[in-house]
Amino acid sequence: MKAFDFVAARDARHAVALLAERTPTAKVKVLAGGTDLLADLKFAPTAHAPDVVIDISRATELKHISMTDEGLRIGALVTHTEIMASPIIRELFPALVDAAHTIGAVQTRNLGTLGGNLVTAVPSVDSGPTLVALDARVTLLGSGGQRQMPLAEFFVGPRKTALKADELLTEILIPKESVGKPTHFLKFGLRKGQALALVNVAASTWVDWDKQTFVAPRVALGAVAPKVIHATSAETFLEGRAITPDAMAEAGRLAVGDAKPISDFRASADYRRDLIAVLTRRALEAAFELARRRKS
Amino acid sequence: MTKVTLTVNGEARSASVPPEMTLLRLLREEFNLTGSKLGCDVGDCGACTVLVDGKAVNSCLMLAGQADGRDVVTIEGLATMERLHPIQKAFEEKGSLQCGFCGPGVIMSAKALLDENPDPSEEEIRDALAGNLCRCTGYTKMIEAIQAAARVEDARPTAKSA
Repeated sequence: MKAFDFVAARDARHAVALLAERTPTAKVKVLAGGTDLLADLKFAPTAHAPDVVIDISRATELKHISMTDEGLRIGALVTHTEIMASPIIRELFPALVDAAHTIGAVQTRNLGTLGGNLVTAVPSVDSGPTLVALDARVTLLGSGGQRQMPLAEFFVGPRKTALKADELLTEILIPKESVGKPTHFLKFGLRKGQALALVNVAASTWVDWDKQTFVAPRVALGAVAPKVIHATSAETFLEGRAITPDAMAEAGRLAVGDAKPISDFRASADYRRDLIAVLTRRALEAAFELARRRKS
Repeated sequence: MTKVTLTVNGEARSASVPPEMTLLRLLREEFNLTGSKLGCDVGDCGACTVLVDGKAVNSCLMLAGQADGRDVVTIEGLATMERLHPIQKAFEEKGSLQCGFCGPGVIMSAKALLDENPDPSEEEIRDALAGNLCRCTGYTKMIEAIQAAARVEDARPTAKSA
């Protein structure tokens, strides 16, 4: 690893001040859990290696999980292990627990943070689809103040986000409209442990029990486009539609058209297209099953 | 240089190291604790697994500076001069290791598991070892050893777990 300055930020505001001070003249990286950053640093060409690393891992105010009037707030430094252990997330958002469980292994989940996973923004980001299917928003703190945006817009492309040089991702908000929304996450990798997703899918929906129809259905796909995407054709098709096995299968077929999968050494684009259809249908079935269990 | 002060296997230690030094290199090169191994160096193989504040982590993915003020336990912290730790003893009795390179990491993962969950299922053990790669013995005998160690009373956490 190339040498760099290591600066420990006291809190988020201090980190933002450091970013504003150092980014104009130096290549700066923010260190949270470090599981992505350190692996990258060891192999980065010297030209891309940072001059400064700002450690935010001691910013304790970014480690909260709390229910508020606006919805569930998750601090950017909450680890995947903490998500899996959180009673409120286990009760209201089991899909987030399932998604966290598919990330890396125990050692990486103990260090890796939700914020870090999102900021790295690989197309296969396992935290992404469930949060996108819950219409999650992210809060970005910069020297000029803070702003919020949908997570789906925060992702811009492979390893590219809407973060400006002097901004820090501080919080993830699952809005109150999505609190307790039945959601299911599925990941298909080539092994059970430590595998990148060939496809990951999350589906969420409310149900109008009188009409037996989908309300605000969401389908989010990972690893099959430059970033996590909404399968908008599937979502539009399902909105207000009667809940039937055929409708869910058709949504799966439509989701395929929303994706742009690539062929690589892990799988062909055709195989990924087949997976999208099957996993979307299964995720919708499971989300509906959860809705039914919660109703009874 | 970064000044790091931490607890390693119950002892206060400190060192002044380059900022880019990992916790693994601090342990091996500054403190001569070479039980933790450098394998893949990117967090896939788990040979460098140590406990930081009781949690299993890849010490190759942590900067020494991040460990400042924390409590670190390595494989050297388990056995005493008189006896092996019950997990080590069980690995010996079951023949769970062959070349042994992955052993320190596997045993630290097992310790973290048993500290939190004294009676894990086979599935839970497999999940706890998913970040530890073994290329010679395989995992069956390790799982048997961890199950055997779980039945030994003193493998369970004590007031001062080390």
